[in-house]
Amino acid sequence: MNVRVADLEFAYPKFSLRVKDLTFENAKITAIVGPNGAGKTTLLKCIGAVLPIRRGSLFIDGRDLSSLKSRERARLVCYVPQEHDTTFNYTVSDFVLLGRAAFISPFALPSREDASAAAEALEFVGLAEYADRSISELSSGERRLVLIARALAQQSDILLMDEPTTFLDPKHETEIFQLVRKLADEKTKTILVTLHSLEMAVQHSDQMVFMKRGEVVAQGRSAEIFEDSLLERVYDMKMKIIDWEGRKIVLR
Amino acid sequence: MSGLKNSRSRGLAIFLLVLPLFLFLLSLTVGAYRISPGGLFKAVLSAVAPASHPDVPEAYRDILLRIRLPRVLLAMAVGAALSVSGASLQALFKNPLVNEYILGISSGAAFGAALSLVFLGRTLPPQIAGFVFAVAAVGAVLLISGKAESHFISLLLTGIIVTAFFSALLSLVEFFASPYVLQALFFWLMGSLSLASWKDLYISLPLIAVGLLVLYLLRWRLNVLSMSDEEARSLGVNVRREKILVIGAATLITAAATAIVGIIGWLGFIVPHLVRMMFGADNRRVVPLSAALGASLMMVADDIIRGVSSFEIPIGIFTSLVGIPIFLILLKKTKKVWL
Repeated sequence: MNVRVADLEFAYPKFSLRVKDLTFENAKITAIVGPNGAGKTTLLKCIGAVLPIRRGSLFIDGRDLSSLKSRERARLVCYVPQEHDTTFNYTVSDFVLLGRAAFISPFALPSREDASAAAEALEFVGLAEYADRSISELSSGERRLVLIARALAQQSDILLMDEPTTFLDPKHETEIFQLVRKLADEKTKTILVTLHSLEMAVQHSDQMVFMKRGEVVAQGRSAEIFEDSLLERVYDMKMKIIDWEGRKIVLR
Repeated sequence: MSGLKNSRSRGLAIFLLVLPLFLFLLSLTVGAYRISPGGLFKAVLSAVAPASHPDVPEAYRDILLRIRLPRVLLAMAVGAALSVSGASLQALFKNPLVNEYILGISSGAAFGAALSLVFLGRTLPPQIAGFVFAVAAVGAVLLISGKAESHFISLLLTGIIVTAFFSALLSLVEFFASPYVLQALFFWLMGSLSLASWKDLYISLPLIAVGLLVLYLLRWRLNVLSMSDEEARSLGVNVRREKILVIGAATLITAAATAIVGIIGWLGFIVPHLVRMMFGADNRRVVPLSAALGASLMMVADDIIRGVSSFEIPIGIFTSLVGIPIFLILLKKTKKVWL
């Protein structure tokens, strides 16, 4: 599904986000990058209707998102937070089952179909044997996978992933990106992902969006748009990209 | 419900769910005037069909129907109500320390009920007056503390201030009450089941039943609402509407209970913790098992008060004195995360 953002505006007391026109293509991974405070997460939260937008419109395959009820919207778009605060220590399977909320009336319980959708999602991320473990027993990397599994159980076509690899070691970081690629290729999910690692962003995304001070500075195909001059303009520091065995390395 | 795959847990859960029924029957036999199980059976039969057992003394029926039955029913209902209210509010506010007292619900309800008893001569039932002021109190706490569910300190401080305000209003009511009413009011505020009457139960029981039913039906939804508001919204929940529903139901049952029995400390806080320690955090289990355990503990506490001592200790004092050490012992023994 295509996502289109038109004349979007959102304001915090000391920050405002303004996006004129931005399109995210179906079944592609788009990396949203930029310095801290650029508005990456805010943009993601606005698209996911986690934050209420003041002005502008969001269209998914031409449908205006504001005309949809919470449950209808959640079946189309899912925001995957960076971390989950484990106040209550649910089991992994109970946690993934929460992804089915949009399919269940507030006064009802999950059905067998909901349970099997959650189990299938857990299987897809490779954590089926962790189903009965408590969330607090998992490592940080495993918890990220569980968050992705919950998003998969939600069965929405658009996944908005907020820095899914922050604080992860290189192995887990790579595993998460392999999973994200699998989601785009095998399940035709449209994926928007905010990232700090420029190397990871260019390596694993199809498209990139560069943001700075609440505005989009540049957008395009990752391989074409990723240049020294753009990085210097966005990050206000000298940067140099070198090619190493087909991969881009950023020197700073 | 993966946590109940363990057969021991399943057995314990079934035991807890059946326990209130057993304790209900047992509680009817306990008191200064002891009635044997056989006597209880005959008294019930004679109450239903007086001609069938003419040998049953009138006093049996009176004690059973006018004194014990309303009292035991009230103990069950209040225990279940406060425990489910506590469990629901803890899940909703994503904080295991939240309870109806912190949110000002108890003090608002106590003031409303006292106002009705002292000045309005019950023209407005204390349960309704208690509910109105409990809603005012929790509404004030939530409005003043803003997005307090994510800033617990702010919620806590506002709760303390609002509770202090309604406590001051309650003191004002006490100040103007006649000495006779003041004594009854004082005893009631410490938490007492001795004032149980059918008249009060006719109003409180349906209110508690409605509130409990709403929270029971919402029990899985409480799992979703225990996520951050952003997560819950992204999962497709109308967070504002469902929060109002949960807070409304929890306030209703707390007010309906507080209006008759006064403030029962710690039960609504401790019972959900005990259940989570034993069965995990899933509210599909926590809500019904908290109701069963809360009802059971209230009945046991009341049985001890009625059966052991010749004078009546207010049950609110008793639940605090007994509940807190039990909680601390379990906390030390369990030594693991159960939230």
